[in-house]
Amino acid sequence: MRYLDFKRFSIYYDPYLIIFITLLSIIGLFFLYSASDGNSSVLIKQSIFVFFGLILMIVLSQPDPQIYYSYSGIFLLVSIILVFIAIFFGPEINGAKRWISFGFVSLQPSELCKIFLPVFIASYLYGAKLPINLKNTFLTIFLIFIVFFIVSSQPDLGTGIVILLSGLYVLFLAGLSWTFIGTALAIFIISLPFLWNNFLEPFQRQRIATLFNPDLDPFGSAWNITQSKIAIGSGGILGKGFGEGTQSHLNFLPETETDFIFAVIAEEFGLVGLTILMGLYFFIFIRCFYLSINARDRFCRLVIGGLSLVFISTLFINIGMVIGLLPVVGMPLPLISQGGSSLISFYIAFGIIISMASHTKLVPR
Amino acid sequence: MIEINETYKEKTSFNKRLIFLYVVFGILGIVFYYQIFNLQISNYSEYEIAAKNNKNEEISVQPLRGIIYDRNGEILVNNIPTFDLITKPIFIDDSNDFLLKLSSFLEIDEDEKKVFLSQFEKAKALNKELTLMQSISDEDRAKFLVRSHMFENAYVGKRYLRNYLYPEIFSHSIGYVGRPNEDELDDMYELKGLNQKINFTYTNQLIVGKTGLEFTYEDILTGEFGKNLREVDARGRTLGEEISKESKAGNNLYTSLDLQSHQAAHKALNNRKGAVVAIDIKDGSIVTLFSSPTFSTNQLVNGILQKDLDKLLFSQEKPFFNRALKGRYPPASSIKPAIAMFGIDQGLIDWNFSIFDEGFFTLPEDGRIYRDWKEGGHGDTNLFKAITQSSNTYFFDLAYRSDINQLNKHLLSIGFGDKTCIDCFEEDKVFVPEPSWKMNKHNFGWFKGDTVNMGVGQGYLVSTPIQLAKYAYIIANKGNFYDLSLKKDLVKNEKKIEFNKFSNDDWFKLHESMVNVIEGNTGTARSLREKKDYIVAAKTGTAELVSGDNREQYSETRLDDSLRDHALIIAFGPMPNPRYAVSVVVENGESGGSVAGPVAITVLNSLIQE
Repeated sequence: MRYLDFKRFSIYYDPYLIIFITLLSIIGLFFLYSASDGNSSVLIKQSIFVFFGLILMIVLSQPDPQIYYSYSGIFLLVSIILVFIAIFFGPEINGAKRWISFGFVSLQPSELCKIFLPVFIASYLYGAKLPINLKNTFLTIFLIFIVFFIVSSQPDLGTGIVILLSGLYVLFLAGLSWTFIGTALAIFIISLPFLWNNFLEPFQRQRIATLFNPDLDPFGSAWNITQSKIAIGSGGILGKGFGEGTQSHLNFLPETETDFIFAVIAEEFGLVGLTILMGLYFFIFIRCFYLSINARDRFCRLVIGGLSLVFISTLFINIGMVIGLLPVVGMPLPLISQGGSSLISFYIAFGIIISMASHTKLVPR
Repeated sequence: MIEINETYKEKTSFNKRLIFLYVVFGILGIVFYYQIFNLQISNYSEYEIAAKNNKNEEISVQPLRGIIYDRNGEILVNNIPTFDLITKPIFIDDSNDFLLKLSSFLEIDEDEKKVFLSQFEKAKALNKELTLMQSISDEDRAKFLVRSHMFENAYVGKRYLRNYLYPEIFSHSIGYVGRPNEDELDDMYELKGLNQKINFTYTNQLIVGKTGLEFTYEDILTGEFGKNLREVDARGRTLGEEISKESKAGNNLYTSLDLQSHQAAHKALNNRKGAVVAIDIKDGSIVTLFSSPTFSTNQLVNGILQKDLDKLLFSQEKPFFNRALKGRYPPASSIKPAIAMFGIDQGLIDWNFSIFDEGFFTLPEDGRIYRDWKEGGHGDTNLFKAITQSSNTYFFDLAYRSDINQLNKHLLSIGFGDKTCIDCFEEDKVFVPEPSWKMNKHNFGWFKGDTVNMGVGQGYLVSTPIQLAKYAYIIANKGNFYDLSLKKDLVKNEKKIEFNKFSNDDWFKLHESMVNVIEGNTGTARSLREKKDYIVAAKTGTAELVSGDNREQYSETRLDDSLRDHALIIAFGPMPNPRYAVSVVVENGESGGSVAGPVAITVLNSLIQE
């Protein structure tokens, strides 16, 4: 729909998404600089990711959505194989095998799964009749859980949950029957105690317990949340100023560059800063909403809807955790937290979204 | 059309579901935003304080302790700055390596190393600062300071050392300071509102009065604690420190103690076991409070080797024992003026009443013999002679005729069996025996013989040197007195002993008889006459520790030093208008007149000739 025509070739783009994403990425670099205590090597590395990530986003916007439709299975398969490579051959860091090392940089292939699983499911359900029949439903859910368990076994519960959600979003948007949803929810709620006892590690149960009662363990697992709340609360309206956050710079706050960077921003820029930041995210959501409503076909609708919800979910899980409303789980603040894999995966996602939004249908179908 | 219909249906369903999900996230977003608003706006002040408490560590700073003066304005105790090498074990990974690095240019002795290593792990676990070297020399300090960049986890801390200018002379009266124990720390936290973290940082080391005036007047001497604010990170590493409240130095303490008289007492007792107490008659203030043998308070406060401390603690001589306030001695013959006062006041005797002293008193009830110290006795003896020559038989007879309960009351009224001093540390009030006391203590009834023994200050009757001094003071001042005290210019009420028959004339005669103890040709302390150039009234005493029934037994007990009699004297002068009253006890000194007497005269000389 929207492209620059250079006679010989055209560049497909969406001005709103590109502007807001670029803006967020650049602001994110500033935040990261403060959160990492002015560590310029962290900043330079992240800047390189941002720069090449933005280029990658533009590049991935160019192919026609048909390409993604046709090759979605291969993309997903490659992602899963990379996850296995990480599990079997990757370096073990803090007891987890999530990374594939390329010497100068390590990447987490599981991040790719959260992009290509919804794309594949969208293509799979492209022609499915409404409401989606049981066979398709079960096949899709089976696939989602397989990928979920593979990634969770690394272990990486945070990414696993996002992958689970990404698949379910597409399934839901594609027209999953309400009867099925109702039944599944009922079964889920009934089996909650069983899941609690058998599928959660003791530390995960502890994290959930402290969420409801931080006094249980003020120096253990609740410490992070307590310090995070202090950081946010002490930011007040205007914050303490760039680089002036005592909670973050005196190391009371954990993981300032990654999971808890939101608390750093809150401490240094206050409610005003947070409101502006959340405003930027809000514009991206609204733009994605608009684009998915007006997408050219069902595949594009589902992909834009699914990927934008992955983005939103990541954001909400991160903020919910940092402000003490959700249990602690490793989850980055999208486009801002340090870490190339998460950053690149979202640039890929937005590249695909822009591709779907900017290409008109060649042949009506 | 079917396909278009289907497409339309699908699109509508998609839109609805997408809107549904966005609405869900919208609601979540509002909840989140509300939570953030709560944190940053509604509870801002609470979290702001929490953030400040996180990074600011409040350090209490001990104020400079007050200086202690003697009655003439001589400084007895002050503070001198000293420097310690302090470490932060929590940041030191290898204590041995750290020591090795330091000892490349500092001489750290083995004891310091041992103490350091033994406390290192504990201090590390508690995140406590640990002193490695105490009171380092200026040279060592300079050596360390030029290399301090290499020792980020060690620093030189300044503190004030309590300095006792006469470390051995005032050990029992002024006492000493020390590190607070758990209970004292709790008190400090509560009463002075100190931050508990003070115990975990060196600052300038907490000290607290442990004994003597340092203990009694802790509140005056301490002053007000200051506050420093330290900025710390999550590991407790100090990033900066600033003064938020200056400490206020403690007030100086002006005492009634007299330096020269203490030096004189110290010299005169020459480390023999004993005590000297002297009182200024004009206001009841204590000018001398000395117990011997003594110990060095400086050594105790500023570091003493365990073996030296053990030597003091387990010494037979018991140097830590404050004999002046806690030593229990039979007053022996020195009690005789008190018994005389009682006899006259009760109408049992007067100055004309006399007995024939044949060298012993026979208890009419059972014929038991009570011997005089002089074989053959003193012959015809009136009260004047009985005091001057210290006749036992006269006082056996008088005591025999006394009512024990009345006598008990009388002795209590002149300072026995009760605390005498307002601000002394751990004074022993002892007791004055009477029938119910004996029944409780020994489960035995009171014999007439018990009263007879009390008449010469033996038997169950015991007293402390300070009680003897107060008693001498009361006699010297004719029944008028103030409670004893050590702080100068303490406001006190004058007290007066009520008598029935004992008159002003009797006071005059009592003084006269006591003057004759020294000045008379037959007085028991006439050897002291030449040692002074003013007139002194006195009464000697020789306290028997073992009652020998006959002379042979007595000379046997003399062979054992510790069983020899205690020598006592009470004295006051110059007569006729006495200014000071003094009591002296020399343990196992044998003779009140010739052993305790010279000590009393030396002390009086130093006080009067000043």
